[in-house]
Amino acid sequence: MRLPRTILLTAALATVGAFARAEAPPIGSPAPNFTLTAIDGKAFSLAEATKSHKAVVVMFIATQCPYSNAYNDRMRELAAAYGKDGVLFVGINSNKTEPTDEVVQHAKKHGLTFPILKDPGNKVADLYDARHTPEVFVIDPSGVLRYHGRIDENYEDASKVTSPDLKNALNALLSNKPIAKAETKAFGCSIKRV
Amino acid sequence: MSEVPSAHTPREATSWPRLGRRAHGRRATLEGGIGILLAAALGAATSRLAGDLNAAGLTQRLAQERGRVVLLNFWATWCEPCREEFPSLSRLQRSYENRGLRVLGVSTDLPSQLSAVEKFLEAQQPAFPNYRKAAGGDDQDFIDSVDKSWGGELPFSVLYARDGRKAMVLSGKQSYRDLEREVRKLLNSSS
Repeated sequence: MRLPRTILLTAALATVGAFARAEAPPIGSPAPNFTLTAIDGKAFSLAEATKSHKAVVVMFIATQCPYSNAYNDRMRELAAAYGKDGVLFVGINSNKTEPTDEVVQHAKKHGLTFPILKDPGNKVADLYDARHTPEVFVIDPSGVLRYHGRIDENYEDASKVTSPDLKNALNALLSNKPIAKAETKAFGCSIKRV
Repeated sequence: MSEVPSAHTPREATSWPRLGRRAHGRRATLEGGIGILLAAALGAATSRLAGDLNAAGLTQRLAQERGRVVLLNFWATWCEPCREEFPSLSRLQRSYENRGLRVLGVSTDLPSQLSAVEKFLEAQQPAFPNYRKAAGGDDQDFIDSVDKSWGGELPFSVLYARDGRKAMVLSGKQSYRDLEREVRKLLNSSS
């Protein structure tokens, strides 16, 4: 059936991209499970990780993105600080343009000791509708997505952060309080799917 | 062209602000108060940027293009795919300007990256005006004001129909062919 042009145009508000993408899981819904291989060769299962931690922070990161790289120190520090409280930080590199050996070298150079997973074919990025780096998802022990968005609002200067959104979310989660801002946004580098 | 309302058409893209074009040489030859004022005006306009836009300013700027199809593109100098996509935008503007296309660029670079922005524009010589996202405020508010579905990834483009209606958002780097296809659809539509 041929639809009138006006209807087609009204319905045409869509995202064009070089990839098919699922809807992002809503806050409060089960986070899609995945199993990936870490850059040290170990298998990582989200379902397993959530069972043994108070929260799992999944961070889509990159080796070449200035926005992601601006957060290397913050990611390392947050992983260490919240690791003491039973929170596991995990990095995922879904960029087709950044091979595993580059991800290994990058982690070594920046002292990123948390597990970093390579996401071949950006399947996990698609599952989460992750758009850019850095982009963060927080999952609670029952496997529910509790926070999605940025680490904070100031990529340029960590000392001038006024909205430490990831910290706020983790603090609320660890103290069984509602997360005031469960979805946040910031500019970042598109995940390179092609 | 009858389909392009000249009343709302700012300067032609090909003569878009180039006020910085070697103003300094002239400045030395000018004397007196008028000369100082003129020199100050020229000196203040050495930027290739058409100005700063916050969310409200962007809405107003888009309204000036009513009657045209608008391709609004957000980019940054640190964004490699943005730089790769940029020449396609100029090509589109040149190819479809007469049919009523207006490309508008908005740099999301921080104020500290202004020199990189100017250098990029100097090298690119874009055929369309480029603005800078105004400093201050939370980026999330700006991102949401453009489109709720935008996660902040760059590059990011929005296509508006001639009546100002948002017709499509385009996430990530697009090929010239893909952009052209969508632009042509809107140029060919009646509204």
